[in-house]
Amino acid sequence: MWDKVYYFIMIPMVYLAVATFVLGLLVKFIIVLSSPKPAGTYAVFPKRPLRFIGAVGEAFIVPVAFRKDKLFWLMIIAFHGAFLLLFLGHLELIREFIFLQIIPHKVFLGAGFVGIVLIVSVLYFLFRRFTSPWREISVPEDYLLLLLLFLTFIFGSHMSLASRYGIAGFDIPLDAYREYLSSLFTRNPAISQGIIASPHYVLVVLHVFFANLFLMLFPFSKMVHSVFIFAAQLIKRK
Amino acid sequence: MDNEKRKALIAKIKTRLSRPMRYYLDLCTRCGLCYDTCHVFYGIPRKEYSPVGRAEVVRRIYKKYFRPSGRIFPSWGDAKEIDDHAMDELLDAAFSCTGCRRCMIHCPFGIDTPFLLSIAKVLLIENGTAPEELTMLADGAVEKGESISEFKEGYREVIRDLEKEVAKRIGAASPDGLIPLEKKGADILFVGLAGAHSIVNPAIIFNKAGASWTLSWFEAVNFGAFLGDPEKMQRIADRVVKEAIALGVKEVVIVECGTAYRIPKFLLGPLPFKVSSIVEVIHRYLKEGKIKIKEKAVQEALTYHDPCQLGRNAGVYEEPREILQSICADYREMTPNRAFNWCCGGGGGLVALDNEQFRIKSGRAKYDQIVATGAKIVVSACENCIFQLDTIKSGYSMDIEVKSLTELVAENLA
Repeated sequence: MWDKVYYFIMIPMVYLAVATFVLGLLVKFIIVLSSPKPAGTYAVFPKRPLRFIGAVGEAFIVPVAFRKDKLFWLMIIAFHGAFLLLFLGHLELIREFIFLQIIPHKVFLGAGFVGIVLIVSVLYFLFRRFTSPWREISVPEDYLLLLLLFLTFIFGSHMSLASRYGIAGFDIPLDAYREYLSSLFTRNPAISQGIIASPHYVLVVLHVFFANLFLMLFPFSKMVHSVFIFAAQLIKRK
Repeated sequence: MDNEKRKALIAKIKTRLSRPMRYYLDLCTRCGLCYDTCHVFYGIPRKEYSPVGRAEVVRRIYKKYFRPSGRIFPSWGDAKEIDDHAMDELLDAAFSCTGCRRCMIHCPFGIDTPFLLSIAKVLLIENGTAPEELTMLADGAVEKGESISEFKEGYREVIRDLEKEVAKRIGAASPDGLIPLEKKGADILFVGLAGAHSIVNPAIIFNKAGASWTLSWFEAVNFGAFLGDPEKMQRIADRVVKEAIALGVKEVVIVECGTAYRIPKFLLGPLPFKVSSIVEVIHRYLKEGKIKIKEKAVQEALTYHDPCQLGRNAGVYEEPREILQSICADYREMTPNRAFNWCCGGGGGLVALDNEQFRIKSGRAKYDQIVATGAKIVVSACENCIFQLDTIKSGYSMDIEVKSLTELVAENLA
């Protein structure tokens, strides 16, 4: 029975998650772009030059947070920077993204550090919400999403660290993940034997399960801020 | 609240779902960086008066009816139904906000909370629980636009009296024509307010500058905007637009009223004439040498309060400072100032409501700022701000004088 559950999580649910993510975002974009644009401008002043570059800069550097709370800013930058590296690392697990290996290097260059940064920053965001005044403005979504990210990262990090440093006889080689992800990408899905045969298979399943949930929730949660921040910043600078 | 009413209210929300509104409704992560950036929160530190607290009142309702998670699993995002309690919360959120947008510059996403609260305002109007004072004032302004011919003769009489005062102040031999009305082809259409000072002081300046100008039949203030009724706001604004087009003026100059300036300048879209604030015009006349002021005539320490709608929301920062630094020997800046300046608490039509004790408390940030400068004269360039600064002055028993910039200039013309 568990074999079937694991299979569902590792294959059909991944496709379902990606489809929900893509279609959800697509519908969101259609709704937003078909909404009327108000006349005039809603800028704040002084207007900064270089509207597009400025908006991108504000989204990535978050000067507002730097001005108000340096530690929070550091965690924001660390989290988002590490998340970007994590995304690239996962792409590198797919054979078809060979162009990322123009300069050949070991996959997951962070050597486990990226995962640790993500875990620390997510825990910071989570515990920050348990203190006043942020506790008062938080809703269940805020805690649950952070918890979901934490669970995704902790299992992913475990896999990465254990594999890299051979902890507790962790025996899933990187090529097994590459085989699995590439099979998903080429729509010829199969869970590689290297993963199935490992006693740590359940950890992989849990990581994939939480990652699936993350993808499925993304378009319907506040996580869309990572997409719409640029548009909102452009309005402020119009 | 019955279902029919609820349906009507939900339909009203739909009318406000423009593109930026959808961004602002979806973007917030409740990071809390805006939490203490509202002047009301400064004076009354309650979650309800933090920008995120206000926005969540609207966002919770939006989630309930427009988000899948709100429909299926409302607890996920704390989605709430529209009911009488929710309407009370919306009233408190919307009409304790002055629309200053200070929170917007402290938001990493640039969320415009006052814009978001426009949903609350249309819901209150639909529910019949919007502030009566603002509703009556907006209706009165719309009515005046529709039947202006009935007002004209009475207004001419008033203006004749004001012309005599202008003549006395500038030493003119005759008061005739000192405040022109319906002058076709004039360069400038000046839009004042109901108070005599809002016409007399600019009239002195225009006459001294030898300007080709004419006075509008209408008041600049837009109670439709304060009320949050987009249709009335448009109709009130259109009165002046039509008048300007009919007279063929090149420029519409708005009295010291931040919102009245921001609406035609930035919110109506392209217009066939230039829109300026009287502050910009005074600055221009000084630069062109059309008027001269008594340099450093004011010896007492003086500070300037940036009206939010003129400064942060329209970019008129340096002109008033340059004017004041010419007139005043001891000019002092408030901290923070310009974009980061604290709102005085009088905007958004709040001064028209019966809420003086609330405004004294919410003016605490401004009080602290003024005290820190040590200034004896506080100048601003917005009627709402002047009124609120006077309330702060009396509420905290301050030994200061509150003056409008135009008044100060008119008193100190060389």
